[in-house]
Amino acid sequence: MIKDNKKLLLEVKNLKTYFFTEDGIVKAVDGVDFEVYKGETLGVVGESACGKSVTAFSIMRLLDYPGKTVSGEVIFKGENLLKKTEDEMRRIRGKEIAMIFQEPMTALNPVLTVGFQISEALMMHFKISKKEALKKSIELLKKVEIPIPEQRVNEYPHQLSGGMRQRAMIAMAMSCDPTLLIADEPTTALDVTIQAQILDLMKSLLREFNGSLIMITHDLGVIAEIADSIAVMYAGKIVEYADKRTIFYTPLHPYTFGLLTSIPRLDVEMKRLNVIPGIVPNPLHFPTGCKFNPRCRFATNKCREEEPPLIKVEEGHLVRCWNIDKVVKEVKKGLLVGV
Amino acid sequence: MNRTLRKLFSNASSLVGIVLLFVFIIIAILAPVIAPPLSEDPYQIPRMSWDVNPQPPGFSMSDNIRDIYDYMGKDLKWDISICGTAEGGYDIFYGLIWGTRTAFRIGLITVAIAAFIGVFIGSISAYFGGWIDEILMRITDIFLSFPFLVAAMVLTTILGRGLDKVMIALITFGWMGYARLIRGSILSAKEETYVMAAKALGVKDIKIIWKHLLPNTIFPVMVQATMNIGSMVITAAALSFLGVGAPVGYADWGQMVSFARNWIIGSPGNAGQYWFTVFYPGIFIVLFVLAWNLIGDTLRDILDPRLRGEL
Repeated sequence: MIKDNKKLLLEVKNLKTYFFTEDGIVKAVDGVDFEVYKGETLGVVGESACGKSVTAFSIMRLLDYPGKTVSGEVIFKGENLLKKTEDEMRRIRGKEIAMIFQEPMTALNPVLTVGFQISEALMMHFKISKKEALKKSIELLKKVEIPIPEQRVNEYPHQLSGGMRQRAMIAMAMSCDPTLLIADEPTTALDVTIQAQILDLMKSLLREFNGSLIMITHDLGVIAEIADSIAVMYAGKIVEYADKRTIFYTPLHPYTFGLLTSIPRLDVEMKRLNVIPGIVPNPLHFPTGCKFNPRCRFATNKCREEEPPLIKVEEGHLVRCWNIDKVVKEVKKGLLVGV
Repeated sequence: MNRTLRKLFSNASSLVGIVLLFVFIIIAILAPVIAPPLSEDPYQIPRMSWDVNPQPPGFSMSDNIRDIYDYMGKDLKWDISICGTAEGGYDIFYGLIWGTRTAFRIGLITVAIAAFIGVFIGSISAYFGGWIDEILMRITDIFLSFPFLVAAMVLTTILGRGLDKVMIALITFGWMGYARLIRGSILSAKEETYVMAAKALGVKDIKIIWKHLLPNTIFPVMVQATMNIGSMVITAAALSFLGVGAPVGYADWGQMVSFARNWIIGSPGNAGQYWFTVFYPGIFIVLFVLAWNLIGDTLRDILDPRLRGEL
């Protein structure tokens, strides 16, 4: 990509994660490549079940049977995580790479205090005493702007509000100063005002720690707020990959274009909301050719027969489509919201 | 936990259970005061006579046994059989009091060890899944396919007489229920996001099971264990009754019922003549088991997740 001067932190190469179910092989992630640079945020966008979360779990190696990463490389700080032993991996989880989960309601253990759950990772990765860990937990809770942290640290998750639980989750993830944070739809379960607060918090924390973030979401608003570069996923593959401005101003994949035009606008008269017709294909029976072709209004016979490769249209802009020129014309009509 | 205790004490049936249990605990603790031992081994029931026939309540020690104590230079702390004597002159009252200790020992130790084994095997099996689960659960199935009482009897016969042997037999064939129970709970609990979150923080598997999963899943096991204390005592009594349990003369309720075996029907024309031989040990067993069951029942009602919100 263009940012050669920046330091590469994570490189995912041709990652393939399949689920071996009784009905057949589900190719949840089928050849994904992307890079994350130090101090930057990569946004991964896509509909439900397109493989965003499975990509994240594959990087962390958290998938159990029947899910299995069958090939590819996950190079973190120059080392392939897929080749590490389970014990080495455990030391990386939480300390080097941490994760924030979608639902703060269920991602905290109901029978353990918030303080215990934060200090657990601290005690393990830094080998410090319980007392010190608890002290650090209070500091962390203060950092994520939870009021009266001295009291909150001894409370159970059900005593906290949804937003506060997500803040506690962030404190947990941030506890060991990870260099890479993976956030799997961290704001989806929250209402919009809390979402904005959480995003602000994450942005300021990232600046402070100079950490990198992979933000997984289906919410383009969140991506616009926080990401530097964006990977758009569809049916287990990246269909468009570019920096934020390019994706929002000059998208070249019909799917990205569809996503962007389906955002409701206030400044243009619209009778109906634009939608992408159809649904995500069943991963057991993907269509032949381009996987997006049944829903694509630009689809041609070529699309139905042959799957397009990831085409480099310019430096740092990759698109998986045969009909880029047609999309360009549509984009020029100016239907996009813009950033 | 406070709420649980409050509910236990405010519920009538569990209150009965608690009071009964409390009485048994007092009896067990004060056994040396209530029935001072006459010999070195307090668990050996003293004989009041050499007579095969049971003697009625109020019977005082026969002269030839008094002579033995005199000869040995021992002080007789008591010499009246309050509840009569069983077959062979064994003092029933003494056996009841010291048998309470035996009952607690059998119930608590067997259930604690069996539950521990069951929880250990069940949680490992559920958490790791795959072939570990397959192997451990098939072993559990094999143990489950033996009829409990018969299997325990055979094992005690092989191991020989004695309370410890009885307990080994009861534990060997008593842990499977807990394993099944905890496996089911953990199978569903391990899919929760908080387990994934703990893994993502690099928490060790053993710690996830111990700190994250078990506190969320242990309650059904605790209920089961409470209810099982009674049935373990019953089974131990059954083994003693069948003659493969405690050694002869050992203070054990089951053995005392077995002493009564030949006298239950009384004598011709007087069916109730030897009522005390079966009544006293019988009522102790019934009340002891009842106490645990009442408490277990209420615990289940309180801790049942489906009822938790409503109570």
